[in-house]
Amino acid sequence: MYLSTMPKRRTPEREEIMPDKRPIEIFMPPNVLKAKLGGGGAGLDMAAIKRAEQAVEDLKSEFTGWVNADVQKLGQCRDGFAKNPNADAQGDLYRAGHDLKGQALTFGYPLAARVASSLCRLLDGKQGASLLTLIDAHVDAIRVIVHKNIKDSTNAVAVTLAAELEGRVTEMLAAVN
Amino acid sequence: MGMGGYHFDRLKVMVVDDNPHMRKLVSKILEAFGVNHIFEASDVQRAWTMMRELNPDVILLDWMMEGMTGLDFVKMARTSSASTNPFVPIIMLTGYTQIEHVRAARDAGVNEFLAKPVSVKAVMSRLAAVIEHPRPYVRTKAYFGPCRRRRGHDEYRGPERRNEAANVPVDDAEAAHA
Repeated sequence: MYLSTMPKRRTPEREEIMPDKRPIEIFMPPNVLKAKLGGGGAGLDMAAIKRAEQAVEDLKSEFTGWVNADVQKLGQCRDGFAKNPNADAQGDLYRAGHDLKGQALTFGYPLAARVASSLCRLLDGKQGASLLTLIDAHVDAIRVIVHKNIKDSTNAVAVTLAAELEGRVTEMLAAVN
Repeated sequence: MGMGGYHFDRLKVMVVDDNPHMRKLVSKILEAFGVNHIFEASDVQRAWTMMRELNPDVILLDWMMEGMTGLDFVKMARTSSASTNPFVPIIMLTGYTQIEHVRAARDAGVNEFLAKPVSVKAVMSRLAAVIEHPRPYVRTKAYFGPCRRRRGHDEYRGPERRNEAANVPVDDAEAAHA
């Protein structure tokens, strides 16, 4: 095993704390990455960052399609939960919402991400078919935001909608606890 | 000297995410950095096989996946007797931003935490962190992995400061007594 190749004797890079109770062994493995890649130092490689930002810019035309695919998957999971509102279906819906939260933020739909986050909070806090109405309100809101291509995080209507849904989730979870 | 001196063309990176669009985005960013060897896996089982077959230098890993999660993978990579590299740097890429999730990721043995949205600068800075500021490794009865003690403010390479999870004082000495 790789660990057996580590030095066994005590060195400045390796120390044991509290050997009489629960020992903690701390050691610094050789920095193989640094040795392999060379270079480096302070500061970031701005040329590489610019190249990558351009690559992301080139991909942006695909972002809306990607988010739409995630919204479609969310809708399928919603339908699965409506048909059979058990823990597995709720888990699938939660995962789809969680994915959408991260993806929508990355792909330029911050308010869709905010609503997806609210949906996850709901699904994380309570279980069962009684959630369906509020789930539907979230899914519909996300569909509208993406369909209307709302990318501005300050869009007044969408912000109000998101805040309203967050409030409803808070109320429902408070009723549970 | 800037990071331009890195030979990213020598770097082997595995990207693990069940969302094909996220894998494509991350891979495009890595390609633009000059990384030539990028392996993509859509689930933990495939990632586990690829890790042992291809021996990546760095792993970018999603947390929430169907079946086994990213955390399950981290625990296997760190502690399984079948792991080919228990020290492999793992950058956790996730929609989670709460403090308890950062703690859970670190308790599993993650090196760096990258909260979505994914940005070019965030990917670069986490890569730079595992290259330039590797954490010491710790072995206790209950944990093996990178030292979870928070580094100084100047060195901090955790989540973006905009979210509350940025300050996570997890101390391995404390954890050992817990």
